[in-house]
Amino acid sequence: MHGFAYDDVHDEIVVNSPLAQAILTFRGGASGEEPPVRVIQGTQTQILGDAYSALDKVSVDGVNNEIYLPLGLGDVRGQSRDTLPAILVFDRLANGNVAPKRILKGPRTQIVGNKPPVAIDPLHNLVVVNLNNAFLIFDRTASGDTPPKAVIRGPRSQVASTGNFRVYAPTGMIVGRCSGESVCAWSVNDNGDVPPRWKIPVKQITGYRISGLALDPAHKEVLFSVAGWGGDDYPASRIMNAVLTFSWPEIYN
Amino acid sequence: MRVKRKGIAALVGLMLTAMGFWGLSTVVKRTSSFTPPESSPGYRLVSIQQVPDLAEICLPEEEHAGAAARSASFDKNDGNDVLALLRGTSVYAASQESAQTVEVGRQPVRRLWDTDPSYGSIAFDTRTGKVFLQDLNLWAIRIFDRTTNTPANAVRSEPERVIQGKETELQFNTCMYIDPKNGDIYTVENDVGDSIKVFSQDASGNTAPKRNLKVTHRAHTITVDEEKEELFVSVNYPPQVEVYRKTASGNEKPLRVVTGESTRLADVHGIAIDDKAKELFVNNWGHISQYNVPGSGRFEDPSITVYPLDASGDTAPLRVIQGPRTQLDWPGAMFVDPDKGEVYVTNSVGQSILVFGAKDKGDVPPRRILKGPRTRLSYPASLAVDIKNQELWISNLGSASATVYPLTANGDVAPLRTIRSAPANKVSLKFGKTQAVTYDTKREEILVPN
Repeated sequence: MHGFAYDDVHDEIVVNSPLAQAILTFRGGASGEEPPVRVIQGTQTQILGDAYSALDKVSVDGVNNEIYLPLGLGDVRGQSRDTLPAILVFDRLANGNVAPKRILKGPRTQIVGNKPPVAIDPLHNLVVVNLNNAFLIFDRTASGDTPPKAVIRGPRSQVASTGNFRVYAPTGMIVGRCSGESVCAWSVNDNGDVPPRWKIPVKQITGYRISGLALDPAHKEVLFSVAGWGGDDYPASRIMNAVLTFSWPEIYN
Repeated sequence: MRVKRKGIAALVGLMLTAMGFWGLSTVVKRTSSFTPPESSPGYRLVSIQQVPDLAEICLPEEEHAGAAARSASFDKNDGNDVLALLRGTSVYAASQESAQTVEVGRQPVRRLWDTDPSYGSIAFDTRTGKVFLQDLNLWAIRIFDRTTNTPANAVRSEPERVIQGKETELQFNTCMYIDPKNGDIYTVENDVGDSIKVFSQDASGNTAPKRNLKVTHRAHTITVDEEKEELFVSVNYPPQVEVYRKTASGNEKPLRVVTGESTRLADVHGIAIDDKAKELFVNNWGHISQYNVPGSGRFEDPSITVYPLDASGDTAPLRVIQGPRTQLDWPGAMFVDPDKGEVYVTNSVGQSILVFGAKDKGDVPPRRILKGPRTRLSYPASLAVDIKNQELWISNLGSASATVYPLTANGDVAPLRTIRSAPANKVSLKFGKTQAVTYDTKREEILVPN
């Protein structure tokens, strides 16, 4: 699992079931073997992963009551298939064998990667997709083969592909992985080869390459999960699993 | 059940139906922190770059209060004017035109990690009486003598040797097999490594494996048919059992593969061989879909499926153990005792060891259940059997320990001995691979799937 979501508007946890092509919603305070309150699964859903990592991430927009699920290509890793991935958008309250309410897909979207992570900015009404070292920024309700309204990409932007990233809507900050195994912050208003506003060189400071990312606005902190990658990513501590918390008030102000 | 201890809450099984493999998840309080051992180099400060007006990391109280008030006001808002709550003033360090990046060089304010091992698997060398424990957290194999018994007042028992380091290529390895003929140590990696490494019986320290076999992503459990010298490998998804030559290496392909809808394989985990009856036992968590067919996913009950040992392709099982009376709940490693006609199964989330008859089928209760507070089982993920001494070894993911019982133990039985690699009663973070993280703003809790 490379990304899941907490919906702080409705106090719910949204995850996908990687191997069973499902989206599960739990109470925020769920504990133990508590069943989900809703399950989206079935032939109408169009949910598709792939053989290698199946499904691995999901996002939620609690403000507009929507769940975003990036799809895989239904292939085996390394295979070349003449198909494009898609972003499915479900009603947050959908339950059972339910069709998505919107699908963002097509060559004009520039969404060509496999299960690209998605973040939603409900304040600026934007959807941001990260793939191929770029952020594609769409109108939130974009559907079908719609081009992005802005693209942050290029060597000066330092944008890197990642498993998940976040948008902090009140300041319009996109927070995600950037070159040099660092974490950077860009604005949702950026377009083109724009350098990030802020940068934490996480690997340089900690020896770890980040995997997951979460925001804690109340305390103006950013949390990074790190997991061993092997090879040259062998931390001096020899501890291969950790969550690192950085104070980063600048992105919240 | 939510367990709180020193600010740590362990949320177990939240992802029961969500995760395909190592799927325990953990919830911790925001301010929880673990300190690295003194022997660990920990963090190395490479550089500090002064950031004008930004070096102070403690926020003014009014900023805390404002943010907290905004967060708290979600509770009272009922979602009617959520956008109003989100609105704030956008203040950027730089503009798109200024083309400047402010580098923030400060250290993390907290680091949440476990300095002790997470034992995901165990193996036993019948020739030497050594116990092998595979560590998912520090990427190591620790080797102890079978007679080791950590005293109650001791912090931990030190291993006789440790295989660990970059050269070992050990990662998130999920199963070991010790060759009963020559002591070779087989270990399989479940995630980014996608391989089986083989070490010499006396391997120690930062040692490269002597053999490497690339296997399918999500390979989970291994066992060997010593008579035919065939290596069996379970693969979580797409669900299958691959059979290789025992000494296969490199990119060698399997001799045969058991896979297909008729097999009823579904998120495969433990496998075991009955070398008398010539049968293959496989357990399944029940998460299934066809990876190339949209909307084909479904959930089934966990199960144990049994096949002829020479099964290949889309072979239907000979027997299936499945249903609520079985108590199967995240089954893991298995062992078949051909003389007694019994199947031992670790049952991680069930906090138990289940023993079935080898010829059982359908919705049958276990013959024996090892479970209860006296057992000190804590997320038992793997087992090994010492036939000579009639002992059952268990690795406990939740307590950095191995416990050993009489092979016929039933009920709430205390272990004969315990090998601890952490202080007594320690509750492990159970971190297996902390790939993702999210934050519960209402409870100020960090959610980590593994």
